[in-house]
Amino acid sequence: MNDAVATALVGVFGISGSLLMLFSALAMFRVRDALSRINVFSPATGLGMPLIVAAVYVYDIHTEGFSWGSLLMAVAAVLCLIIVSSVASNTLSRASVLSGQPVYRKTAPNRLARPPAGVVDEDPDSPDQPRAGA
Amino acid sequence: MMRLIHGLSYVFYIGWAIVTGSLTIVVRQFLPGRSYAHPMIVEVPLRCVTDLEVTLFASSITITPGTLVTAIAAGTSTQPPVLFVHALFEDSEESALEGLYDMESRLLAMTRGRAPTTAASTVTEVEQEEGRP
Repeated sequence: MNDAVATALVGVFGISGSLLMLFSALAMFRVRDALSRINVFSPATGLGMPLIVAAVYVYDIHTEGFSWGSLLMAVAAVLCLIIVSSVASNTLSRASVLSGQPVYRKTAPNRLARPPAGVVDEDPDSPDQPRAGA
Repeated sequence: MMRLIHGLSYVFYIGWAIVTGSLTIVVRQFLPGRSYAHPMIVEVPLRCVTDLEVTLFASSITITPGTLVTAIAAGTSTQPPVLFVHALFEDSEESALEGLYDMESRLLAMTRGRAPTTAASTVTEVEQEEGRP
């Protein structure tokens, strides 16, 4: 691999990965609650960090030559990043729901917000009875 | 053999979903004149049965940018397990469910060797079985 191609690939992968991290962080300011913030950060861990790993791997091939060991490390790193990011997001969202974090009021429909039976005080005289939990 | 082909196509499908979802999250920040996101939490009754299928499906949903699993209700002998999915960029509940069931069909084709033929029971059917309003 010649110098120009290697430099270009390292630059493209590294810079696009870093920009994904930056824009995911900026996107966290555009949404309003904890669940959405966990949600919009997944480009950084699901695509941004694997791209940075790819940049490092191309650089490694260019400077030290191809070796199966570094290929194995790169593939394992990408797989682990994706799996760990997924499980961590699940755990974070479970923790945020179970700890009673408020959900953004414009979340519609919110199927999770069905009150337990007996909690809603239903008035049979009311002309327009709202659906429980709607 | 068919499971291997389905598995490979599922891996590419998830990779493509990660790329397009990431681009959606980034690009929508620069589209003026519209609100950034429409958060919603939808209820997804599953056709997945085993623990492995449910775990794989929940992880696939969460790794796709724009959708996030917030709660998992275990299935009983009469009801399927239910996922509660937080979706950010879907236009309506129907389109969100459509995309999720497409992903589930591909996943079940991988774990079972063929896609399931039965459609998933809808939320209203599940609610009627439970006797909820």
